Amino acid sequence: MVQASDAPARGARPVLEALNLVKRFPGVVALKGVSFDLAPGEVHALCGENGAGKSTLIKTLSGVHPAGSYEGQILVDGQVVNFASTKDAQRAGIAVIYQELALVPEMTVAENIFLGSEPRRLGGLAIDWERVYSQSQVLLEQFKLSIDPTAKVQYLGIGHRQLVEIAKALSKKTKVLILDEPTAALTEQEVAVLLGIIRDLRSRGISLIYISHKLDEVFAIADRITVLRDGQSIVTLDAKKTNQNEVIKHMVGREITDLFPRRQGTLGDDRLVVKGLTVKDADGQEILSDISFHVRSGEVLGIGGLMGAGRTELLMHLFGALGKRVAGEVILDGKPLRAGTKPSESVRRGLVLVSEDRKRYGLVLDQSIGFNLSLSSLGPVSRGHRVMGMIDARHETRRNRELFDSLRVKAPTMETRVGTLSGGNQQKIVLGKALMTGPKVVFLDEPTRGIDVGAKLEVYELINRLTAEGMAVVLVSSEMPELMGMSDRILILAEGRVGGEFEKSEATQEKLLAAAMGRAKVRAGEAAEH
Amino acid sequence: MTTTSIGQTLPPQNPGAVAVDPSAIKVSRGQAISAMVMPIALLLIVGFFAVASSGNYLSAQNLSQLAIELSITAVLALGMLLVILPGHIDLSAGSGVGLIGGIAAVLITSHGWPAWAAMAAGTAAGLLIWWGMGMIIIKERVPAFIITLSGLLIFRGLHLLVIKNSTVPIVPGGQSNIYSLLTTYRLSPMVGLILTAVIGVILITVAIAQRRSSGTPGHGETMLMRAIVISQCVLLLVLICNGNGGLPLPVVILGTVTVATWFLTRHTPFGRYLYAIGGNEEAAIVSGLPVHAITVGAFAIMGLLTALTGFLQTAYTGSSTTTIGNLMELDAVAACVIGGTSLRGGRGTVGGVLLGSLIIAALLNGMGLLGVSPEKKLIARGTVLALAVWADVRLRKQ
Repeated sequence: MVQASDAPARGARPVLEALNLVKRFPGVVALKGVSFDLAPGEVHALCGENGAGKSTLIKTLSGVHPAGSYEGQILVDGQVVNFASTKDAQRAGIAVIYQELALVPEMTVAENIFLGSEPRRLGGLAIDWERVYSQSQVLLEQFKLSIDPTAKVQYLGIGHRQLVEIAKALSKKTKVLILDEPTAALTEQEVAVLLGIIRDLRSRGISLIYISHKLDEVFAIADRITVLRDGQSIVTLDAKKTNQNEVIKHMVGREITDLFPRRQGTLGDDRLVVKGLTVKDADGQEILSDISFHVRSGEVLGIGGLMGAGRTELLMHLFGALGKRVAGEVILDGKPLRAGTKPSESVRRGLVLVSEDRKRYGLVLDQSIGFNLSLSSLGPVSRGHRVMGMIDARHETRRNRELFDSLRVKAPTMETRVGTLSGGNQQKIVLGKALMTGPKVVFLDEPTRGIDVGAKLEVYELINRLTAEGMAVVLVSSEMPELMGMSDRILILAEGRVGGEFEKSEATQEKLLAAAMGRAKVRAGEAAEH
Repeated sequence: MTTTSIGQTLPPQNPGAVAVDPSAIKVSRGQAISAMVMPIALLLIVGFFAVASSGNYLSAQNLSQLAIELSITAVLALGMLLVILPGHIDLSAGSGVGLIGGIAAVLITSHGWPAWAAMAAGTAAGLLIWWGMGMIIIKERVPAFIITLSGLLIFRGLHLLVIKNSTVPIVPGGQSNIYSLLTTYRLSPMVGLILTAVIGVILITVAIAQRRSSGTPGHGETMLMRAIVISQCVLLLVLICNGNGGLPLPVVILGTVTVATWFLTRHTPFGRYLYAIGGNEEAAIVSGLPVHAITVGAFAIMGLLTALTGFLQTAYTGSSTTTIGNLMELDAVAACVIGGTSLRGGRGTVGGVLLGSLIIAALLNGMGLLGVSPEKKLIARGTVLALAVWADVRLRKQ
């Protein structure tokens, strides 16, 4: 291991230190010697591809893997600690905010913050609700979180829920806060708020471990960066003295010259044409208004916009899984796609959707890779009948094997359960399942969310292959660089309407953002006049 | 076409780099242990009753009796499997067994219908009613638990109405018809042996063909071993039953239903879709699967098998009585769960359900043989179910 930076930042004794951690699971060594230290009042970023050992490291540091199940030492304030459980770690001041938030949606913000440690009255018999709410109020104000403590968590956006989790951790005298992919589901605005709060926490002396695939954020917030690869700590870098390319180089162990390798395909006929589409949801609310666009064969149409602008809703509706069309016309490959089309018909007509929520809408996690890959296209390998016929197992396996190999899925065999794969590999399975149907139009909703740099590149390469073969791709992305890097044309949605359309050559971050916020500003102006 | 061109243009995968979630290995070890628990439990049950009945339990007569009872329980449980796999349940099955067996009996005895016509009418009724329940569950989004609970009450009431709260024989005046022959007919010993030979030859031929074509090493050998073991079990069963007049017809019916259900769940898109819907219904919809049609289809098949069980159970009793089918839906659910079927859907096998049915049937038969009172029988059934689920949950957690 290379120690590229000097002693811990600010020269103080580390508040948390890991010495040569080795963690073995049956058949796998997840950590092969990780050393790492966290200075007081420091933001220390952990970078590494999926499977590099970040999650295992966090779980070891926070007591999920108890003392005795690993080799090496963990020190808090210079003292060796042996956490038997996460409770021990919390008592030592270490809290983790996981990607999947652990809040009770039906409870209020304050109830969630004090869940399990409610202030009592009447000699401990009853919960002192007044103090629950007043203390929550104080806590939220102290950290400048503009959240109503009496609001139910289910009505909060994902960004606010995250802040509630942070407030909950801070209510327990936390001195080390570990954030695991905190911005994976946040909009750019929400990310900015979160980063501001992290800076504030740092200035109050709290130390943070920040895990993210988004290197822009890492460089915006981190003091030091430790790169993990294959279960080892590769290098610790001073954020001011390094750059993204160097970090990526360490992460993948090779140079990456071009992050967005978009190669233009040959443009053909219109594959999908949408004219004046207006859609209402189940409650009768208009969620999409007067949307028109078209995608040609060989083209990538990027769709951008703020969270809630209707991007996912647009894809889900066109696919037949959401909302009711009240006006407009949709033409798929020259033939109309009538209102009320079911997803099964869309797939048959050559329109497939890869959802942003792959665990919910993409995979049967309990089943094998092979099962998931061929799920959408069993008809063609069945003899006799599309549904009741006999699956030709050999044909199916051969077809799965080709895709499994070409997508470079990292798994022992095709019998491996999909739920055990890393995010990037799961995404490859969802993509593979969609491609096996031989589609004409491919909807990709945040196809690289939560997956590592190496897997992202493979997804981008795949998009190039699809367009080279004459498919039309619609790419929804919240990451501006990805949107601008991979699209041939960009459509911006704002509050369910088209906010602007840009050719690749004329798109700039500023123009796109202005278009995305355009209507929001007008609305705010209208509201101010009333 | 798409896949091959992608395959050509991207470099081959790197088989060295493997990312495995360590928890996966633990789970499979837990599953391996839990796979052993039920066979051991079965051996213990059989051993206990063999000793307690001083050997009567293992007599050819009792074992062929047990084979018939197993067949009745298992046919219904296999139908239940098809409904549970996509995440539903059928609580009306037991009442349905009583109702449809009763309809056929009344058509024969009171209306003079020929037995085949009465049974055809019962089968049609089963198909239609369960198709209807499936449609309500899917289209109106009422949970299967509620709809089939209503069914449990309604069908029980209809059954009592149809047989007018009395006992309706299935054959007028002590003769026999195909209805009564369902459980009394036995294959002659020679036919049984020939059937066994045919099954053995088919199984082993298929296994050898698989071994030749299979890419994975060891897979063919496993198939061959399995074929030989199954053939031997069939042979043993036939030999035992031949010691008591020949193989009972219900066993042949169960064999047919087992093969059909196994084929359906393992070798057709329909079966795959059942697992996919139970595993993740939203993903199944977005994957473009005909989720509604598949679920209604599963209920329709359940109706068919409920009708079949209704005929078998009623024939076994000799007439349609007010208690026929009581609690049979719970035996079917218990057989599924004991056999490793997840009540949340997405997990379960035909082999497991057969094993679960065998445990239930062996227990009920043994208690009957020992003259255990109905009260204690109920308690024992409940205890076994609770123990089975507890063991399953416990072992999966480890």
